[in-house]
Amino acid sequence: MSRRVIGANLVVSLKTFSREKSVMFFTIAFPIILILVFGTIFLKQDNPSFDLHVQDLDQTNSSAQLLKTLELNGKLKIIPVDPAIDATQYAKDQKANLVLMIPKGYEKALVRRLGLVGGIPSAALRDPNASVTVTYIYDASSSTTSAKIQLLQSAFAVVNQTMSGQPRFIRAAETSMLTRKFRFIDFFVPGIIAMAVMTSSLSGAVNMNAELRQKGVIRKLSTTPITRTDWILSNILYQFLIAVISTLAILVVSYTVFSVRLQVNAWLLVLIVLEVFAFGGIGMILARVAKEAESATAAANFIMFPMMFLSGSFFPLELMPGFLQTIAKILPLYYVNEGLRAAMVSVDHTAALRYAAMIGVFAIVVFVLGVNTTKWDEDPA
Amino acid sequence: MTTEPEHAIVVEHLTKRYGDLLAVNDISFHVRTGEVFAFLGPNGAGKSTTVEIIETIRTPTSGSVCLLDMDVTTRKHDIVQRIGVLPQGFSSFDKLTVRETIQYYARLFGSRTTDIDGLIELANLKDKVNEQFRTLSGGLKQRLGIAIALVNDPEVVFLDEPTTGLDPRARREVWKVLLSLKKNGKTVFLTTHYMEEAELLADTVAIISKGKIIALGTPDELIERNANYLVLTLKAVDGTPFEVIQKMGFEPVPENHKHIKVRVEHADDIRKILNALTDAGAAPLSLDVRRPNLEAVFLKLTGEALRDDSLEGMPE
Repeated sequence: MSRRVIGANLVVSLKTFSREKSVMFFTIAFPIILILVFGTIFLKQDNPSFDLHVQDLDQTNSSAQLLKTLELNGKLKIIPVDPAIDATQYAKDQKANLVLMIPKGYEKALVRRLGLVGGIPSAALRDPNASVTVTYIYDASSSTTSAKIQLLQSAFAVVNQTMSGQPRFIRAAETSMLTRKFRFIDFFVPGIIAMAVMTSSLSGAVNMNAELRQKGVIRKLSTTPITRTDWILSNILYQFLIAVISTLAILVVSYTVFSVRLQVNAWLLVLIVLEVFAFGGIGMILARVAKEAESATAAANFIMFPMMFLSGSFFPLELMPGFLQTIAKILPLYYVNEGLRAAMVSVDHTAALRYAAMIGVFAIVVFVLGVNTTKWDEDPA
Repeated sequence: MTTEPEHAIVVEHLTKRYGDLLAVNDISFHVRTGEVFAFLGPNGAGKSTTVEIIETIRTPTSGSVCLLDMDVTTRKHDIVQRIGVLPQGFSSFDKLTVRETIQYYARLFGSRTTDIDGLIELANLKDKVNEQFRTLSGGLKQRLGIAIALVNDPEVVFLDEPTTGLDPRARREVWKVLLSLKKNGKTVFLTTHYMEEAELLADTVAIISKGKIIALGTPDELIERNANYLVLTLKAVDGTPFEVIQKMGFEPVPENHKHIKVRVEHADDIRKILNALTDAGAAPLSLDVRRPNLEAVFLKLTGEALRDDSLEGMPE
């Protein structure tokens, strides 16, 4: 093993990387685009906020107070609708999927219900049968309509319950399994890191071994002092560096744009190293098994793309049918995803160790196979 | 002080099998230190397999190959430090420039003293130093390949079909580089199927066919031994000379309706033919006398042309 030779090879690989736009895109830009797109979508899901069009026909202090109450939890933003116009036509024209109508007489009914005299409630004058009916004009085909109606029902339930003067009978207490509150983006980022490392390691190993062999570059190298060990080590080192660059880019964007609350610890490094060996090993095997570089690339894509979607990189495994969940659990990327989430999200060192051990065993097996199948001479096997 | 061995390469009873296919069949030859040794053969003759065994890329089935007094099967590490190789269909890293490519290979050899600029000049690549490999033409790539083969100042240089696929102009540019190697006294093992390349550059020629060496010697020796005759071409003639020459016992071959080619064994025969034509009043407007080249030797020995475009219509 020669450090000089490995260094020379590493410099060539990094120069090639910096000049290869497509590789740069898939290694750095593509994961960042995924983070930005899905992160924005998830951010909205984590903190849903809807516009609520309200036509207040009462135009009193009490109706204004009700609207303030609706806005209190920050989920609804009130957009007033002119009381003089037709609300249904307005909803159609403005493409508003829900318009809430507060009827005229709202305040009068409220005064009767509470028995208010000069603003002071009187039990003797309270009319328990006094009520108002608000109207929803809605578009049932819109996906957010039901969410808005649910929010309104909850808000009205709180108002009704408060007016009843009775304490709540059932109260709910929430205890998260996690020590801190996490959003979906926090779970998503480790999956993207795992995906990016897999892509760069697998494609990198295929390019290095299959394409350069097909072009005859390896034949030329075999007549120089570089050995097979130097070659494999420099390639693994290069793939590790690319994985680190890609991970750093993902983390920088995730922290700065989405303020993710992920812990970066030694497990992240361990799992990336193991993943590089695992997918680098698969790449070396494919490069040897496939007769041509194009077939090796196609085989790598055939492995990568289904694995991305089936192993829970983009969405939780629980959303998938049972048989797909079973398939996911035989995929190496699943264990990297779970390991990274254990390390970065739940900070469960025992779980991280367990997943690292699993992916480690897999990495050793495929890497040893990959090394043994990577040939340095020209004789057919 | 070490002395150079008399023979840079010694091949003894070399055999290479791929399953049932006998690619190289018990061949032996020596390459003298400092000479240009041309290894000729058609595609599939076994020449690339042979050269790749000598270069340590492949392992022999049996027999022995010594390169600079070292066994190629056991001393690969030492051998690669002292040889330079231009493999067949040379290729390199697409995104590296000419200079970066040479620097990379120099670093692989740990050579701090490599004269990168000198190599660039030798390969006539000064205008292309900052061009990436993928943008170079075939001829430029081959010249870069030759420059790379020299980064470690090798004692033996292997050039496997350095001009295959190049246009005539690019081929001549590569020949210029090869001639400068010859001038510098390098031992060069040249694999080619271009006869003119071998005749121009080689001190010794070996012809391999179907895994066997069928001829070995200097170009002159091979021609002397296998094609010791002259070809007389009579230009702008009518039918009369044909009959005159035929009556004299020669075998004239018409060419392009206006020319006649005649194979003669001695220079004296040419004088006899010309005298006879003059007497018959059928003297040609012009004539041409040529010695056969290696192509004819190869054709005679193997019964096949080296290249599809190499047939010259020379009488056998």
